[in-house]
Amino acid sequence: MALDTIIEIANASLYQDEQLILSDVSFTIGKGEFVYIIGKVGSGKSSLIKTITAEIELTEGDGIVADFNLRTIKLSQIPYLRRKIGIVFQDFQLLPDRTISDNLLFVLKATGWNNKSEIEQRIKDALEKVGLQNKDHKMPHQLSGGEQQRVVIARALLNDPEIILADEPTGNLDPETSEEIMRLLHDISLTGRAVVMATHNYSLLKKFPGRTFKCEKGKVIETEQMSEIDFESLME
Amino acid sequence: MKNTERKVTRRRLRSTSLSSIISISLVLFMLGVIGILVFNAKKLSDFVKENIGFSIFLQDDIREVDANFIRKTLDASSFVRYTEYISKERAAKELKDQLGEDFISFLGYNPLSSSIDVRMKADYANQDSINKIETFLLQFKQVKEVHYQKSVVNLINENVSKISLVIIAFSSLLLFIALVLINNTIRLTVYSRRFIINTMKLVGATWGFIRKPFLIKSIIHGLYASLIAIIMLSGLFYFVKNEFGDLVDIIDYQFIIIIFGVVIIFGVLINLISTYFAVNKFLRLKADELYY
Repeated sequence: MALDTIIEIANASLYQDEQLILSDVSFTIGKGEFVYIIGKVGSGKSSLIKTITAEIELTEGDGIVADFNLRTIKLSQIPYLRRKIGIVFQDFQLLPDRTISDNLLFVLKATGWNNKSEIEQRIKDALEKVGLQNKDHKMPHQLSGGEQQRVVIARALLNDPEIILADEPTGNLDPETSEEIMRLLHDISLTGRAVVMATHNYSLLKKFPGRTFKCEKGKVIETEQMSEIDFESLME
Repeated sequence: MKNTERKVTRRRLRSTSLSSIISISLVLFMLGVIGILVFNAKKLSDFVKENIGFSIFLQDDIREVDANFIRKTLDASSFVRYTEYISKERAAKELKDQLGEDFISFLGYNPLSSSIDVRMKADYANQDSINKIETFLLQFKQVKEVHYQKSVVNLINENVSKISLVIIAFSSLLLFIALVLINNTIRLTVYSRRFIINTMKLVGATWGFIRKPFLIKSIIHGLYASLIAIIMLSGLFYFVKNEFGDLVDIIDYQFIIIIFGVVIIFGVLINLISTYFAVNKFLRLKADELYY
């Protein structure tokens, strides 16, 4: 694995419930890269993301993510892999029973932070980065979709992850808010973190170009040029 | 505004916990009542068994010293609850009172023997033990006869063991139902938080860290549920004591404390164990499986 490579998948086959989803998957992603994963519904985008987070076991081929070997990773090591990945979900998945600040506090405590003033500062910084410094006391349901997604991004950034994995992060948002979130994710990639994003939103892809992997017919193909992407067929 | 929203959310969460605590406390109350019943069934059967006894008829020429020696030997043994020496004269007087006739002046002599009435401890009030005791007693040459009603002894023992069996079977069934009910209540509570557990996993929390607050809460809920069950059991005791005072007399307070202790230990342990397994179950599930 090259020094600045953060994700390396080689000759992998991805299965879900013993059903082959993707085969011969090989790619590398370096630090600071902004990468799209596109494809029709059911083409295997989410499976690929779940494999990177070790939610789906990699049983064929090789995969190394942030120095963790996906083939040999033990159950007890998975939380430590996930601390190196900030995950952003389409449906936000905030903890609905606590405030925004407590949502972030949970992540910090869960990942070994103990110093109260450091924790407070960290939460403040993360919320500032996403422009929600005044919403720390709100409950998740009191925020708009865009705001909730920004909280999720703040949460993903808390532990300075090397990778941000976003599974359809704009799927539930209006075009304007989607653009805000994309800008935020792009800014994050400029700080040296790899951003991998599965999306259906091709207008954003045109506006914020990046390396693009297309899941199609059980394969993952890198498209060199934007013109190679048949947007119409993807919308089917 | 922010406080109101937070209060509403907390109240909602509290009411979920409250219904689970109340369900568990009702089951614990039922278990406490069963415990009392089982204990009292034993006491009642012991009471019946301890009234099983036999009479040792002594030789006519026995000296009082020898009779006392036999009696003291019996008193010192582990199977005897108490003994009573009945002299020839006392036996005659008692029979005379019962018959209402002076049979001695009619017969011209006292045909009755002096005897020792023996009451056994409950554990020894069975055919086998009495047979052994009989063999032992007949070794004394001063003992003429050991008398007891075999059929009564067998009847009491058979019925007491039958009733005990029924009570044990019934209690085991209720205990099983209680365990299933508590386990289901807890699983439903954890089930309602399965997506939260999944989110916690995805943000890098270890299984132990996710489990910890659930387990702490389960101990607290177990204590609350036990406390409510104990209050209800105390209320029941108070009611029974007022209504049927005599019944309560056979329950000793030490036993009540033991029952309360068992309710607390059972309440906390069953909560803790069920929560542990329920949380583990959802920790093992993949995100897709959470929807089934």
